[in-house]
Amino acid sequence: MKLRKSRRVAPAVPLASMGDIAFLLTIFFILTSNFAKDDTRNIKPPNARELAQLENQNVSVSIDADGGVFFNGRPVASPATIEAGVAGFLAGKKDMKDRMVVFRCDQGVDKKVFEPVLAAISKGGGVIAAVGQASQAKP
Amino acid sequence: MPFVRRKEKRELEIPTDSVSDIAFLLIIFFILTTTMSKLTGFTAELPSGAAAQQQAAKTDAKTPTVQITNGKLLFNEQEVSMAALQERLLDLQLAKKQGEERVVMLETAGKVDYQIYYETMAAISAAGGIVAIVEEGE
Repeated sequence: MKLRKSRRVAPAVPLASMGDIAFLLTIFFILTSNFAKDDTRNIKPPNARELAQLENQNVSVSIDADGGVFFNGRPVASPATIEAGVAGFLAGKKDMKDRMVVFRCDQGVDKKVFEPVLAAISKGGGVIAAVGQASQAKP
Repeated sequence: MPFVRRKEKRELEIPTDSVSDIAFLLIIFFILTTTMSKLTGFTAELPSGAAAQQQAAKTDAKTPTVQITNGKLLFNEQEVSMAALQERLLDLQLAKKQGEERVVMLETAGKVDYQIYYETMAAISAAGGIVAIVEEGE
């Protein structure tokens, strides 16, 4: 009796294009990533009702719990620097959406610190996008 | 004549086996560092500098004024709660008005922290008003 030899091809997952797929995904993530410019670890945001969603912008101003003021993540000494920085970044931008400046401030900071900063953003031509946490309505 | 053994030529190849591993490590890094959370808040365009001073000068008795004094909230010089302020502002129907009629003066005195200030500004914005900050001493 003749026995036939079965010609079975060993099952294998094609891995040749795996690297290409992985690199395509990497490129996608590089292009869509939004790296945080601010160190917001020491900022407890304020709460309010009826808050809308804000789009992340390229210009941001932050004030941490210790009263330190940051422009695009870098510490600044005075509101005048912020005014100049905002004016520089927003030069030639007319549309309101393009003039948004993300403003983060710790809820415990006194007005003597944040009011001059708000005024500086405004004088620099920025529209303030004040970041906070939405709170539930009290019954 | 002795036979010379032919040298076996090795093909030069760049090792690509670990490329996909490196790429996937990069993907994991980007997944972990990407910000997925959306920001919430409100937007406000404040009349600034000379414009704000002109606005303050133009203010007549009819312009609604919110005052924050040492944690107390006053609307047109009457003490109110935050919920009452929101209702009073909505009653003004600022969103339907135009230009200067939408302005709400925001005045502060004494120690005022950002929490109450933020809530007040958010309430004015939600009601369709434009915040005009009156700085202390003006």
